[in-house]
Amino acid sequence: MEQLISRFEQAAQHPLEGARQWKAETGRRVIGSFPMHFPGELAHAAGALPLLLQEGDEPITAGLSSMFPFYCGYTRSIVDQAMKGEYDFLDAIMFGDHCVQLLGAADAIRCNRPETRILFNQLISSMNAPWAMEQARETFRQLQRELEEVIGTAITAESLTASIKIFNRNRVLIRRLYDMRRAGKLALSSAQLQHIVKSSMVMDKETHTALLEQLLDEIAAKPAPRVGGVPIYLSGHLCQPPKLALLDLIENCGAVVVGDDLYHGYRYIASDVEETGDPIEALAAWYLTRNRKVPCPTRSDAGADWDAFLVQAVNKCKAQGVIILMAKFCEPHMYYYPEIKEAFEKHGISHLLVETEHESMPLEQFKTRIETFLEIIKRRAAA
Amino acid sequence: MTTYAMGIDFGSTTAKTIILDGDGTVVASCIESMGAVSDEGVKASIAGALSQVGITQQDVGFTVTTGYGRRMLDVSQKSYTEITCHARGAVALVPNARLVIDIGGQDSKVIAVDSNGLVETFAMNDRCAAGTGKFLEVLARAVDIKLPEMGPLAMQATKSLKISSMCATFAETEVISLLAEGNGKADVLGAVHAAIAARTAGLVGRVGKRTPIVMTGGVAKNVAAVHHIETAVGQKLVLPPDPQIAGALGAALFALDEIRMAAKRSRVIDEEDRDVNSAMDTARACGPACKSTGTSTAAGQGTEIVVAPPSTAVI
Amino acid sequence: MQSIDTPAPPNVMPPAKKTANRLAATKVGGQIVHDYWSDLFNAKDDGRKVVWYNGTYIPPMFQTMDLAWVHGEAWSAYLAAKHGELPAQKAGEDRGYVRELCSYARTHIGSALLDLRAAVDKAAVDPTDARALTTSKLPPPDMLVNAYPYCSSGQQWDQQIFRLFGKKIPIFNLSIPLLWGGRADAGYLRGSEWEERSKYVARQLRELAAFLEEHTGRKFEYDRLSEVMSYIKKSAELRMEAMDLCTAKPSPASYFDWIVSIAHVNFLPGTQRIVDYFELVKAEIQERIAQGVGAVPNEKYRLFFDGMMNWNKIGWLAEKFAAVNASVVAGRYTHMSFWQEPQLIDLADPIMGMAQNYLICPNNHGAPIMIGEIDRVCDKFDIDGVVLHASRTCRGMTNSQFQIADSAKKHGRQAMTFEGDVVDESFYKDELLNTRLEAMLESMDSRRNYFAKSA
Repeated sequence: MEQLISRFEQAAQHPLEGARQWKAETGRRVIGSFPMHFPGELAHAAGALPLLLQEGDEPITAGLSSMFPFYCGYTRSIVDQAMKGEYDFLDAIMFGDHCVQLLGAADAIRCNRPETRILFNQLISSMNAPWAMEQARETFRQLQRELEEVIGTAITAESLTASIKIFNRNRVLIRRLYDMRRAGKLALSSAQLQHIVKSSMVMDKETHTALLEQLLDEIAAKPAPRVGGVPIYLSGHLCQPPKLALLDLIENCGAVVVGDDLYHGYRYIASDVEETGDPIEALAAWYLTRNRKVPCPTRSDAGADWDAFLVQAVNKCKAQGVIILMAKFCEPHMYYYPEIKEAFEKHGISHLLVETEHESMPLEQFKTRIETFLEIIKRRAAA
Repeated sequence: MTTYAMGIDFGSTTAKTIILDGDGTVVASCIESMGAVSDEGVKASIAGALSQVGITQQDVGFTVTTGYGRRMLDVSQKSYTEITCHARGAVALVPNARLVIDIGGQDSKVIAVDSNGLVETFAMNDRCAAGTGKFLEVLARAVDIKLPEMGPLAMQATKSLKISSMCATFAETEVISLLAEGNGKADVLGAVHAAIAARTAGLVGRVGKRTPIVMTGGVAKNVAAVHHIETAVGQKLVLPPDPQIAGALGAALFALDEIRMAAKRSRVIDEEDRDVNSAMDTARACGPACKSTGTSTAAGQGTEIVVAPPSTAVI
Repeated sequence: MQSIDTPAPPNVMPPAKKTANRLAATKVGGQIVHDYWSDLFNAKDDGRKVVWYNGTYIPPMFQTMDLAWVHGEAWSAYLAAKHGELPAQKAGEDRGYVRELCSYARTHIGSALLDLRAAVDKAAVDPTDARALTTSKLPPPDMLVNAYPYCSSGQQWDQQIFRLFGKKIPIFNLSIPLLWGGRADAGYLRGSEWEERSKYVARQLRELAAFLEEHTGRKFEYDRLSEVMSYIKKSAELRMEAMDLCTAKPSPASYFDWIVSIAHVNFLPGTQRIVDYFELVKAEIQERIAQGVGAVPNEKYRLFFDGMMNWNKIGWLAEKFAAVNASVVAGRYTHMSFWQEPQLIDLADPIMGMAQNYLICPNNHGAPIMIGEIDRVCDKFDIDGVVLHASRTCRGMTNSQFQIADSAKKHGRQAMTFEGDVVDESFYKDELLNTRLEAMLESMDSRRNYFAKSA
């Protein structure tokens, strides 16, 4: 099982290398994608590899000349990588979100690397508008046309449906791991689970699924129950993964993560696409309904309450506390946080806010806070 | 023989050691400056405290450490975070306290506590100098006065100036500009203290204001800081006589808990043994008159039963 | 007791200063703004329904229905000017709003938090609290409309207000999509993307009309809209004409004069009064040109101000530039952001022209087109240097600023950036502005001397 995990890790830690290699081996196209609502299925259906662009580990250098430091680490990192030429091998980058910082990043990339083709098709973010479905459909149709043109392959309804099935299967399998974790039957650390989800974002989907199937067999063959600790839910980080060192730290302080709504976590795998009927229609419906599954604060949606979702999720996982991981400068998260805080206070859910950054990781200070937080929880649980 | 409880706060600028006797009375208190993060200062602090009582480390029944260096000390038998210890220590110093403001050299924290001195929730700044002792240090240099003089001089401010930057580096530039414009040092320092108070008030807001409020940490000795925080928060602060030792005191109290719990465990064991013995005695006794238990086994509320436990520590 | 500059209320002329020579017409404009607020505060007494909105200049839709309206940003600025933004910001911070968030939103939401009860129930107001008294004058909303081009935070802001009111107030979101400009036929005001997006926004405006009908029980009279738009269009034209006159040297008016007339093209009702005001402005500018009078008495440098305006620093900034004989002739926020293409509006059927004017918020274009337009404005006014305000919490306006600066340099213009914020003073780095401004002017001087010598 260690070997399997390290394959996931390898892919997750070196996404660009892996994609370059894949491109060299298959001779096919690689389409980059910004988070978080853009379906990789469309690019996949045209025979390309959809690659969710990841925050890098490198300190930001070249990017400093294009992005102010008061932007979130994710946007600064991708601009930095673009300016260092890391994205030059991509055939295009597709993108349709509307977080204002991402828009700035996209423009910075476009101005600095004019050869990098950016396919921008903005998804509607007011989910309750009567025209929301129609707009979402049109956006995906337009994206389809543009992808066909870049890749030079037609995307048929059959090929798109086939891709949807492949992506759904992958999500289903990862959700099994989440179910196991919630039930206390998964002896994987949070860092390891992150490798699994993140590698799915950057690898060939069928290869990833095959590895997952293997993993699930091995886990079933020798189930290792979770070692004890304070059950904790992790919330936040809407675009980039929490740093591995931080996840390890949380667990080393005596917590065990039982659930999350991280993008590099449950958020990525929560919703499946309808496999019957017109696939573009299905993708549009997926886009609109997935927000109800795991609400995203950048969407304006009266029917979605991130705070209520979290209270429910925490209770379902039987977590005794929540660590909110807020990426510094993430505006959507900052806007919503006070409501989450109030909801937790109202429902007596212990919570700790940890602001994370791309650059500095003051582990000692984090340790103090997390230890104190766990001390509080243990005392409350004993009372 | 008395068993002592020791609490050590291994901080970033100072190391503090407190020793309590079995009744929980403070019998030793020693603060030493830290140079770099080495253990020279803390060793001196421990040694100083021990010598105040005239004992050695062997006489200490339990040692709890706190502060950034809490895990670096060999003598440590248990460690708690400085948040937990400051809360405990502050409530020991001011029994009805509900909020603790602690501004140290490198960080500032606001802690909401329950009636037992246990932490309910907290907010901290430990990532930058804003609102910490470091902020004052940097600005003392900029105004060219010694740190202990800052408070009294700031209290002489007559003009209400403003330093708007939260960042110590940029605040330094502001200070220099204000001085260059001809403003007096007292007025400028007033603004500096208002700035630190604003930051503190922000943390209080996040935690939720409760009263009474105790202030601990080195900055509590700065009259201007106290004054400006009181203004910003709209509440008088309770200042314990020795605010810097709250963390070490809390740690020592936790150590005392450990000693008492160990004693209680051995008492219980002893009582069980006695019960067994007395049952056996009763069984063997010729008659009721021959039964002799030696001590009362009924432990009423608040009755301390002192028994020599088999362990080495003696109460 | 503060010894810093009293923040100037937006759209009202700050007290007369030593060097900056401000337009006299501004006083007239200030009165119109004052009357708008008074009128708004009486809305409930008049039995009018109230719309709270944020984003672009959609009040003509509300005016057509005789509604009263409040622009969230303007309200934040008004409060900040009258009482300082600190209490509202503190309330926001207490609730958990991080300081890195748009300080406008923090002020507005913070204020709403403080006064939610007061806004709904006037009996709850503490009569000794001046700020609460002011805020209790604001009528609570009957409807919420969000029409925010480009900025996701702008849309989320109203979503939070909606949630703050228990999700009970009817809300309408007007989506104004980004004009990425990536297609082969893309250009300013042309191309297939432009055509498609124009139709989409126009269609939503008609849906907005239906929404207003539904929640007022009255009919939306398109004739009335045409009437309202006739005043707005005329005002916008006059304003652009008056601005164009500033190609004269010395420039008769400056950025700081145009800043105080933004309200008039942003959220004030379209009436003859506004038209008269801009006639006055234009006339005064023509007069100044005839007399050779400049906004800055001894104009040596002509600058462009990029970025968000910082409302509580208007006077301070005006003085700073005037003191070094720099006239800030134009800016992105003043010259490129409010009804700047009035000729698109067909008064017989104004909806499409309105939709298009909403789409062309400069930020709402991808960088290449926005930067192209900025360069065009700089060329027109013969700009020597570009000053960029990097507003810490308004990233909608700081996006692409590096690229704007690069482009300026390519066109032979100096560029400098200074750090500040929309309405939170703690993000200001005064010394940096002073130093960099000096350095920029020194560069300009040495270039001029160099070219003078080689002539």
